[in-house]
Amino acid sequence: MFHGSFRISSTRYLRANMTKLIIKLSLLLLLGSFQFTFAQQQSANDAHLKAFSASQYPSATECAACHPKQYKEWSVSQHSYAQMSPIFNAMQATVGKFTAGTNSDFCIRCHTPVGMNLKEAVFMSNIDRHPTSREGVTCIACHRLSQSYGKISGRLHIEEGDITAAIYGPTGEADELDQELAGKKKDKLGSNEVHGEVKSLFQLSTPGFCGACHDVNLVDGFRLEEAFSEFKNSPANAEGVTCQDCHMGKEPGKILTAKSDPDFHKKNYDFGPAADPKVTGLKLKDRKLTNHMFMGPDYSVLPPSLFPLNPGAIRDEGDEDGDGFATIREWLQFDWKAGWGSDEFEEEVDDNAVFPERWDDTDERTTAREDFIVPNLELLLYAKDEREKLLRNGYILGDINVTSSTTQEISFDVQVKNGTNGHNVPTGFDAERPVWLFIQVIDADGKVIKESGDLDPNGDLRDLHSTYVHNHELPLDDELFSLQSKFITRNIHGGEREQVLPIAYSLSPLVFLRPSVNATNLVGRPGGARKHKQGIEPLGERWANYKVSEEQLAQGRAPFKALIQLKAGMIPVNLLNVIKDIGFDFGLSARDIGDTLAFGHVDDEKNMVIWNDSDKVEDNKVAGHTIIWQKEIAL
Amino acid sequence: MSQIKDNKMIIAKTLSRAVGTKILLVMTLFIAFGASSNDQERTSRLSDVSVAELDIENYPKRPEPILEWGNDFLNPGNIGEGIEMPGGAVWQPSLLVFGTFRSALQSFDAHGVETNELASRLDLYANLQLTGTERILLGVRPLDKNGQFTGYEFGSHNDDSWQNELNSDITTLFFEGDFGELLPDWDKGDTKGYDIGFAIGRQPLNYQEGMLINDSIDAIGITRNTLLPNGGSDMQITLIYGWNEIHRNDNHEYNDTNLFGLFVSMDRPKTTLNFDLVYIDDKDGDTDGIFWGISDVRRIGHYNLSSRILGSHALEDQSAVALEKVPAVVSDGYLVFAELSWTPAWTDDNVYVNVFVGIDEFSSASRGPANGGALGRTGILFSAIGLGHYGAPISDMAQNAYGLALGYQQFINPIKNQFIYEVGFRKETESIGNSENSKETSIAAAVRYVHALSQRTVFQFDIFKTFNQEMEDAQGIRAELLVQF
Repeated sequence: MFHGSFRISSTRYLRANMTKLIIKLSLLLLLGSFQFTFAQQQSANDAHLKAFSASQYPSATECAACHPKQYKEWSVSQHSYAQMSPIFNAMQATVGKFTAGTNSDFCIRCHTPVGMNLKEAVFMSNIDRHPTSREGVTCIACHRLSQSYGKISGRLHIEEGDITAAIYGPTGEADELDQELAGKKKDKLGSNEVHGEVKSLFQLSTPGFCGACHDVNLVDGFRLEEAFSEFKNSPANAEGVTCQDCHMGKEPGKILTAKSDPDFHKKNYDFGPAADPKVTGLKLKDRKLTNHMFMGPDYSVLPPSLFPLNPGAIRDEGDEDGDGFATIREWLQFDWKAGWGSDEFEEEVDDNAVFPERWDDTDERTTAREDFIVPNLELLLYAKDEREKLLRNGYILGDINVTSSTTQEISFDVQVKNGTNGHNVPTGFDAERPVWLFIQVIDADGKVIKESGDLDPNGDLRDLHSTYVHNHELPLDDELFSLQSKFITRNIHGGEREQVLPIAYSLSPLVFLRPSVNATNLVGRPGGARKHKQGIEPLGERWANYKVSEEQLAQGRAPFKALIQLKAGMIPVNLLNVIKDIGFDFGLSARDIGDTLAFGHVDDEKNMVIWNDSDKVEDNKVAGHTIIWQKEIAL
Repeated sequence: MSQIKDNKMIIAKTLSRAVGTKILLVMTLFIAFGASSNDQERTSRLSDVSVAELDIENYPKRPEPILEWGNDFLNPGNIGEGIEMPGGAVWQPSLLVFGTFRSALQSFDAHGVETNELASRLDLYANLQLTGTERILLGVRPLDKNGQFTGYEFGSHNDDSWQNELNSDITTLFFEGDFGELLPDWDKGDTKGYDIGFAIGRQPLNYQEGMLINDSIDAIGITRNTLLPNGGSDMQITLIYGWNEIHRNDNHEYNDTNLFGLFVSMDRPKTTLNFDLVYIDDKDGDTDGIFWGISDVRRIGHYNLSSRILGSHALEDQSAVALEKVPAVVSDGYLVFAELSWTPAWTDDNVYVNVFVGIDEFSSASRGPANGGALGRTGILFSAIGLGHYGAPISDMAQNAYGLALGYQQFINPIKNQFIYEVGFRKETESIGNSENSKETSIAAAVRYVHALSQRTVFQFDIFKTFNQEMEDAQGIRAELLVQF
């Protein structure tokens, strides 16, 4: 193996400079051998790194052996998606680029604590990250914390140690585990290694534990996310309800009985052994089991081969003996939407059809579909149902009052309520969280005479962030009811303006993040950027007002009716437009992702992709905007 | 001879004004209509181009701070375990030294006084981070003091000379934190409302875009954040008591003066509102005053509108003070200020029209020595550079005057190159204080170019010309290098 790249350019040079050449060749050989050695060393280093990380930062797949329930829930959660998200990867990289690298690992520290502990690059493809790094907020991100660090925006110390090292739980029922392990080989259950000691970190079940990451304050004092702070000032907190009660119980976004109920835990949570007795052989007593799906409004835009995380699906590049079925690059060649591996496809496929080498074998395609694609789609469908439950618990489409109905004008008001008492809705990353009312006024012949909350061809609302609206190709939606907060940046002069990313480059072309020189507690925000929050306070309400003009009424035939939908999306498509230049992971284009984000909500005439609606799991909608509630009224 | 000289000056001034008027007209048209793009390939449609391999080689690396101790500042690697303190907080002490160095070669000619200089400024800070919410910040400005900057003056009204303003005065030193985080054992279950932010020490304060307060004072303040009022999405309430280093509207420090402030900020569905109230208690003198400001920031259609009204009220003998000092320490008056801006289609540029009306003699509650007057937000024509003797091209005092600035900020590459073109005017409705001057009218134009040279350095070029009806015309030109670390 020879990695040198020197070239011998001419014989003339050879003759004239023989001595020099000999010296150079010697150096070249030396360099070559060094590079060879270096390459070997690099490979060894990679292997050591992986071995080290496996020993110091155990993968969730290791936990999965004894805790399959918790693993499965987590594998489709936003925690496991946190780092794999190509949107996050491009967004945090764009922020880094726009801040001259000064934002560094601020965002990604929460999204892949293991990757950052391994000193991986802040920006790189997830394909090349360590497998445990790709797991995002993996098991040890919470269960290897020995202390409570308060509102620290995710900069937490993780205890290092292999799988047999101590693990932290809210109660630390060490005695039970010790008794069960008595007489057995230390730290071993069958072929599985287990954690030897369970320590107590009672804060795991307190809201403050969630607040360590879910109150995000930038180094310059910008309050990016305030889910925990909102909770602290909410009625739910006053009642003693915790984040975990609503987001780790049986029903996402809701407690099933009053906190004062003596049987609260039994009614609100599942009960069972902490570890699977079939796998472990242990006879653990039943205990409160928290749901590790942590359901939220996000959904994956990745192919189902890559997400949910499936321990058998992905093999690392170059790891020929690895357990995974295919590498990420190979999976990206697998056209699951075309039906590869399904009976229909394989029966009808042309014998001369050309497939990538990895997928040339029918059996491999079939196994890929049956063992990974279909189960993952089923899990995504389940998650989608849970997501819809969460959204329906969080948002209520309330009263609709027709305030005027004449031949000259129809006007009506629509009430939207916060169904929770724990925080604003939306909360968290609310400046990139679209929740809005879609309304259509329809005449007797089914003709739409008025719309609000409709989408532009990219799948964006017609607000100031829509490129079509900004460029005056579509009108601004004057009556738009949207709960999305907005990032506001300060202009050097001219007040403030909305921006998709909160980077105030109007003040300087060099945005250089350092701690604020003001006490941000007292001034509330740094000088350059802030957030205009527009969510609904706990148990609060907002009213949307719509007016159908005489001119619009003249375009249709009475009687009229209104279709009203309360919708939610993961992020607005316009974010993709701002972050696209840095490049999306997994070879995706902005439009690939945008079409998945807004899937199902713009018809063909506006160029949005519509998937088929059928009973087959492959065709079912696992991503895209959600219709939370829908009503129709006569006007 | 003198007559000939005067005639020549009048001719020169007339010519200068004629040329200047044409430049102003061209700039006004440019700003009003903006840069037009003829790019036929532009589209609002989302790109369908994918990137095969991410360009990680050219991704900016973290710029190393000049000094860091403890956990690195935003750098990969495991975070230290920290030390558990009495009260339950876990501290992870980390020190970071950072700051900004600015140096400019500039010429400023106003009021018949020309100043040519090389001036420098260093803002140096040491941040000792203890937890996510607790920290101590120490700041010094070793190259400037009381509005005078270290540098070299040449070819000016004075002899060529070095200006030495080296000092070790502490300009910032405060501790800020959150009671709930400082003593988490008080509330282990996180059910109590101890999340009260506070700060104590010498600290910069800025309210109502610096029109009400723009100063660094010794103060203690407490804040409740993320309050959730009915019909609102967010509210913050802050109380501040200041006892030292309080500079008044004339930019001078007054001893034995106390500041009491109440500041409320609120996000409503369509707007952000601020209500601020300040009382200054001059224990020895007769300059007590009440100062207030209300602002509303919103978007209307494609436009951004920030509007505010501020008032000041002298509680004792304001007229005597106002007559003696220009600007007044405290006096009765109001300031109405509106900033309108928009982003033209197919660009990311910023067009702005900022208008102000000063009714009577509005005075700020507290203004630092290098922070000029209250009108700095109007435009680059109204704001001092904050370095050397290069002042605002048009007076930034709010008393008895109205005016506007019309500007166009053009982003060639928002994080590389920017131009600002601006025209503006200011007209006084009354002569200031007991000044013998007549009511002044000023009209001016300015251009600024800013270019990020590297990951840490920025080059800035400014040029302006001001035509004054009564006083001498003014002009200035400057080049500045800024280094961040």
